[in-house]
Amino acid sequence: MPSPRQLAVIAAAGSRKTEFIITEALAHPYKRVLLTTYTLNNLACIRERIYRKARHIPAHITITSWYSFLSRHWCRPYQRTVLGTPGVLRGIDFQSDLPRFIPESDARRYFCNRAGDLYKDRVADFAVKADAAAGGAAVRRLEELYDEVYIDEVQDLAYYDLDVLDSLLHSGIHVVVVGDPRQHTYATNQNSRNRQYRGARIVGWLGQRTDVCTIEHRTVSYRCNQAICDFADALYPDLPTTTSANLEIVEPTGILRLSRADLQAHVVAFGPAVLRHNARTDTLGLPAINFGASKGSTFEHVVIFPTTPIRTYLRTRDPSGLAAEARSKLYVAVTRARHSAAFVI
Amino acid sequence: MLRKVVIRNYRLFRDFTLEFTPGMNILVGDNDTGKSTVIEAVNLVLTGRVQNRLLAQDLSPYLFNLDITHEYIQTLRDGQGPEPPDMIVDLYLEQSAATAHLKGRNNSTDEDTHGLRFRAAYNPDFALEYAAFIAEPDNIRVIPAEYYRCEWLGFDGNAVTARSVPVTASVIDAAAIRLQSGADYYLQGIIGNNLTPAERVELTRTYRSLREEFAGNPSITEINNKLKATPGDVSERELSLGIDISQRASWESSLVPHLDDLPFTFVGKGEQSSLKILLALNRRVDDAHVILVEEPENHLSFTRMNVLIAKILKKCENRQVLVTTHSSYVLNKLGLKQLVLLTETGGLRLSGLTPGTQDYFRKLAGYDTLRLILAQRAILVEGPSDELIVQRAYRDVHGVLPIHDGVDVISVGLSFRRFLELAVPLRRRTAVVTDNDGDDPADVAAGYADFTAHDFISVHVGAAGGGNTLEPQLLAANSRQALNEIFGTSYATDEDLVKYMTNNKTTCALAIFESETTITMPGYIRDAIA
Repeated sequence: MPSPRQLAVIAAAGSRKTEFIITEALAHPYKRVLLTTYTLNNLACIRERIYRKARHIPAHITITSWYSFLSRHWCRPYQRTVLGTPGVLRGIDFQSDLPRFIPESDARRYFCNRAGDLYKDRVADFAVKADAAAGGAAVRRLEELYDEVYIDEVQDLAYYDLDVLDSLLHSGIHVVVVGDPRQHTYATNQNSRNRQYRGARIVGWLGQRTDVCTIEHRTVSYRCNQAICDFADALYPDLPTTTSANLEIVEPTGILRLSRADLQAHVVAFGPAVLRHNARTDTLGLPAINFGASKGSTFEHVVIFPTTPIRTYLRTRDPSGLAAEARSKLYVAVTRARHSAAFVI
Repeated sequence: MLRKVVIRNYRLFRDFTLEFTPGMNILVGDNDTGKSTVIEAVNLVLTGRVQNRLLAQDLSPYLFNLDITHEYIQTLRDGQGPEPPDMIVDLYLEQSAATAHLKGRNNSTDEDTHGLRFRAAYNPDFALEYAAFIAEPDNIRVIPAEYYRCEWLGFDGNAVTARSVPVTASVIDAAAIRLQSGADYYLQGIIGNNLTPAERVELTRTYRSLREEFAGNPSITEINNKLKATPGDVSERELSLGIDISQRASWESSLVPHLDDLPFTFVGKGEQSSLKILLALNRRVDDAHVILVEEPENHLSFTRMNVLIAKILKKCENRQVLVTTHSSYVLNKLGLKQLVLLTETGGLRLSGLTPGTQDYFRKLAGYDTLRLILAQRAILVEGPSDELIVQRAYRDVHGVLPIHDGVDVISVGLSFRRFLELAVPLRRRTAVVTDNDGDDPADVAAGYADFTAHDFISVHVGAAGGGNTLEPQLLAANSRQALNEIFGTSYATDEDLVKYMTNNKTTCALAIFESETTITMPGYIRDAIA
């Protein structure tokens, strides 16, 4: 049996998965390559790393956000199959709430606002419908445009996005997806389709497609030391454990508890990044980054302001007490650190 | 390469589709049939510009088709609410790696294919203004273009930019030479297009370093030091001189092409236009480059045009060229087979011309093929005397000369078949007037049976009893006395009169043409002009 053409890399935090796709993309200058990911933060991160490695973005590489990819290559070219007329679609509406009481049969108003911008939560739905109604023309068009498509943070894709991914995996394009099911902090949209596969379950979804897609686990973290890896692994006992390749010892090291009284001295001494749940978290006046937004970054040391569920977890060490999203965010926060993660108690 | 253009509501065209062939496409038509409009529309969809101005910033209501404008206004006045009409130019492109991203179904024919669309459509953001505008339909004269927006998209529905359009076009309109600072706009374009990207980068880089060197030049440094030392009257900052190195001041605006050391703009117009054409033609063959030439005959002497046409022919073997022309010479030289006769809705081609006929017209390059092509109806005769008699016959019956009615009487010698071969694809109503030359008229007519099978072609042969040629036919139809009177002669026998007429064909024909006397025309001529 020929080995599957497509590749999914499921990797732990700090295992250089983004680095992997950037290296691959740069290594194939004679291929037409598309790099995409869901969050703009990560997109900027990819762009910056390519500049750092190659000094410019080579002409064979296109970098685009997932939304823009859907809108540009799936929705607009075959919009008339869904809307009946060409040239209606403009941008994407990230602000408005979905309209109520509009049946799907009224496609013009179901999918877009008055100006012709697609509602963000219906972009992927539209993409899937347009391609299906055009008899797979969108996929064929992409096959003419790109030889390779790389998707970073694949665990952020959900619902209809997965149908798009499914079409890509079965196309003639070489597709490489990388992600960490533990770092699912955003969902691209709020539909009910494929609900069972959101977040951590992406591994199960990919597991059903091993005929076209090889799944590779990377369990070495080049970032976090072993103590941090162990703490993070404990949050997901079902997934393979992580080995640290960071053998440097820099004090302080490992998972720490920090009293509010010691916080100031710690910050002055070690210059950690301060991570919080959201802007409402009281960080005692320290400038901080939200858990979700910190994804993709690396810091020497971090200080984490725990939420109530996290405090409970620190006591009980029972991951089933943490909701999926809270667990992801804790995982992301703690694995930002190379040497130490300190919880403010 | 261009495959097809579809134009809706733009200038003369309400709904127009024209397919292109690879290589040469020669657009021919009467004045006001839209030859230039086709070129303009193709250039618009490739550059977003009309007459060098971005249409999006300069949309005029007068660009909209007049019929649609009237219809729209009339419907408004009838108290209905018509949708404001769109203006669309769709350009279909050949599939290639460079056009792959332009594939989709956002086009007028719903084909899943590659192409570009320029569309001006009503912008609903102006709903309030528009409501006020239509409230008084009696005051409306034009389409409210100020409430329109322009879109420039690929068939994939995504916006394109001048940079992302994979096909470049050189418009060569020798009649309109516009100048900006330095090289004029499309001359710049042509020069820029002639260079490889690497050469272009090198030119930009060299120009840049030249300007930077200026500041480093010892005498300039000295001047700048002096300026620095001058106490500031206006400002405390240091004053120095340098050259503008912003984007606006790139090489295009400063470098001027020279011909024999003469700045381009000081060269004669004829030379300028042939140079522009040749520069455009010299582009690399592998490029998706289309050349649009407006009336190459402009500003050129006959000999120079000959040289130019020969060059166009040679250079265009592997590229696509659209040429408009008014000149039969240009048309015959470039090849009739490539001719596209423009109509309101599209183009008519002379496919299926035999190589012999093509060759015939190419050799007779001075021949007025356009007369047949542009006439509404043609009467083909052998020589000038037949021509005069037919003209007279026509005026006797219709009261005006044939040309008044768009009927062109063309003397073609013995090449009736060559011209009929042209008339067939044009479906041009054509009558042939010919002598029987002593043969049975039925046999002579039978020789044209393959043409007369078309109901728009008829052949009229001198009757058997009336003599071999025009002259005895005229005599047979009129009395010897009447003809003697017209010619001011007094021949005693028919034989002598025919001999005189045959030896003085044109003089006699002219006398008949100008005579006040009533003349009976031979039956076959009467049939031909009916």
